[in-house]
Amino acid sequence: MSATLGIAIERLSKSFGAVQALADIEIQVKAGEFLALIGPSGCGKTTLLKCVAGLLPADAGRIVIGSRPVSGPGGREASLVFQDFALLPWATARENAEFGLLLRGAPAAERTEAARRALAKVGLAGSFEQAYPAQLSGGMQQRVGLARALAVNPQVLLMDEPFASIDEQTRRILQDDLLRLWSEERKTVVLVTHSMEEAIYLSDRVVVLSPRPGRVHRVLDVPLPRPRETLDVRASGEFARLVDELWQILKKMQ
Amino acid sequence: MKRLLARGAPLAAFLALWQWAAWVPISFNFPTPWQTVVALAELLGSGALLQASATSLQSLVLGFGAAILIGVPLGLLMGVVRGVGRVARVYLDLLIALPTAALIPLVILSFGINVVSSAVIIFVFSAPFITMNAYGGVRDTRPRLVEMARAFGASWGKLFTRIVLPSALPMILAGLRLGLSRAFLGLIVAELLLSPFGLGKLIMNSRSMFEHDKMFATVAWTLVLAGIALAVLARLEARLLRWRAA
Amino acid sequence: MTPLVAPEPAFGRAGFAAIAGLLVVWEILGRLELTMFVPSASSVAVAWWGLLTDGTLLRSAGSSFGSLLKGFVPAALLGVALGLAMGRFRTLREVLDGWINALMSAPLSALVPVLIALFGVRDTVVAATVFLFSFFVIVVNTMTGVRGTERSLVEMARSFGAGEAALFARIYLPAALPAILLGLRLGAVQAVKGMVVGEMLISLVGMGERLIYYGNTFLIPELYAVIVSVLLIALLSSTLVQSAERALVKWK
Ligand SMILES: Nc1ncnc2c1ncn2[C@@H]1O[C@H](COP(=O)(O)OP(=O)(O)OP(=O)(O)O)[C@@H](O)[C@H]1O
Ligand SMILES: [Mg+2]
Repeated sequence: MSATLGIAIERLSKSFGAVQALADIEIQVKAGEFLALIGPSGCGKTTLLKCVAGLLPADAGRIVIGSRPVSGPGGREASLVFQDFALLPWATARENAEFGLLLRGAPAAERTEAARRALAKVGLAGSFEQAYPAQLSGGMQQRVGLARALAVNPQVLLMDEPFASIDEQTRRILQDDLLRLWSEERKTVVLVTHSMEEAIYLSDRVVVLSPRPGRVHRVLDVPLPRPRETLDVRASGEFARLVDELWQILKKMQ
Repeated sequence: MKRLLARGAPLAAFLALWQWAAWVPISFNFPTPWQTVVALAELLGSGALLQASATSLQSLVLGFGAAILIGVPLGLLMGVVRGVGRVARVYLDLLIALPTAALIPLVILSFGINVVSSAVIIFVFSAPFITMNAYGGVRDTRPRLVEMARAFGASWGKLFTRIVLPSALPMILAGLRLGLSRAFLGLIVAELLLSPFGLGKLIMNSRSMFEHDKMFATVAWTLVLAGIALAVLARLEARLLRWRAA
Repeated sequence: MTPLVAPEPAFGRAGFAAIAGLLVVWEILGRLELTMFVPSASSVAVAWWGLLTDGTLLRSAGSSFGSLLKGFVPAALLGVALGLAMGRFRTLREVLDGWINALMSAPLSALVPVLIALFGVRDTVVAATVFLFSFFVIVVNTMTGVRGTERSLVEMARSFGAGEAALFARIYLPAALPAILLGLRLGAVQAVKGMVVGEMLISLVGMGERLIYYGNTFLIPELYAVIVSVLLIALLSSTLVQSAERALVKWK
């Protein structure tokens, strides 16, 4: 069992040509924390996540996961989950779940084993393994995406609006499944979302980014009890109050 | 500027290769680029090239014009009347797959060696593609738009002129460009086989008289001529489809 | 001699009805003897059988297939390679794109006399024409396929540490495969067109030479028989590539 790692984002700035996407971002994600990122469209949430994953180089500042500074893509600590799932259409669910391990050169037997375990964790055991993405519903496709991220056994999950293109009912089920997985596996999670309810329901803290260039505008603590998936937290007055508080913050920022 | 330089690089490389090939020489009577340019100037000066081009373009206008006048309405009809479309589609598929050049001997036998023959050949080269694109354009009309217009009570005629036709326009125009490219292809094949007039005659005559520089010059001229015609059509197309740029 | 090969998936009952209708009308027109240039379908079938049994057709087709392979295989290999490179490397694309597009729609038949000057009146000219006719479509389709690769797939693979080679083998190539195969199918049809043009112009070997010969000797049913055979070769080539497509692209 590897230790859970925190993330330190220090004075991070990033521009695309003349467009400044991120300015002086300063966020400390504690080990094992569930952090939500919210902010207006185009404020740089995806950019921030890509910087943490090493896919984009920072212009200034640095990012440290555990004790290792991020210097490029392919780091072993973090896995990405994509809004559009990013599944290989020509590969079966199991082959997709194996893909990260394949790129890291793991032997076939080990890959299959890890992919099976990851698929079982996300509730896709058995006959679904051989299905192509086109044969799966959106919710199931994202389960495969999640399994692929988990199969490499990362300490950090970086999720970019993972449930945005999934219908509301399925989304609630997936949110609960994610919470259960998170409490079992004790991973650090950074989740980008546009949904205030989702941010409050899932996270320990919500970081609100300002419009472009994205800066940390406010950080909202979410002291709701856990395990939320069994406590019917959504029905509580406290939940409604926190969602409203978040809404007031976002509204005033415009 | 840098872009222009980059785009010119392949041309320079090609000319260098050509120069080298002529210098080796890779085949006897293989003219250098310069000799070809001189021959081109001569042919232009004597008026032979322009005259041949005019003859060729005459059959091109006849054949390609007929292909548009018949192909576009036929394609629209196929798209609007489903039954016609389903049956005619089969013949179109065959005509598009068919190496059209194979029909040339038959056309020559039926129409004789003359401008009509060459226009007919150009027609069979280009019409199937023009028809197919017009048909495809109508079939690809977004059902949403049709529903919307009908919900507003559009008559059949309005539906066709306001929704179907504008929707199909981009593909129709693309079909015209494809058709023009095919028309030039057919024109050249026809003239090379028929030989009594046009650019093809010039090419074949120069070849039989071992004036390879003139032959190369005419070939280059033909390619440039086709390139210009296609570019003009592409410009026109972009003009007409300005609404798509946004 | 009915082309039983489906040129499109849409080819169904309407397709067979259309072909059958064509044959019937053709037969009637031929029987009416309106003109010697429209012989009946049955007389064409008889002529076709004659050409098949006396070996003429096989001899010509053999030569034609030889040129087809000699031209198409290099066009496919080089075309896919260049298309992949152009899809992946922007500089190369900017340098070559305009030329490739211009050449794709240029009347390349005009180059046949040049090829004859280059190679002499030989079947190499046919292979070279086949190459020229099919190469550019393959390049353009391959490039389009690579460019159409989902960005998020590339990012996903890079996030797992994929290098350039792994990206090519695991993402770009499979993502472009349907477009590559479509390009090869279009290229195969183009190749047969180039073959016929080349053969007719050198008038020495293959099906093209037979077309010229029967045209010059007024053997009309035989001329029709060769035209139909050429059409069959085109359909066969495209069907062969299409079955490869079905076998390779199972995930759609
Ligand atoms: N590769 C790029 N090149 C140029 N500009 C970019 C690039 N990626 C992002 N941007 C710009 O940077 C800004 C932030 O983009 P980003 O995708 O991070 O926003 P976001 O907060 O994720 O938005 P959304 O909520 O719509 O997903 C935007 O203005 C975007 O246009
Ligand atoms: Mg985003």
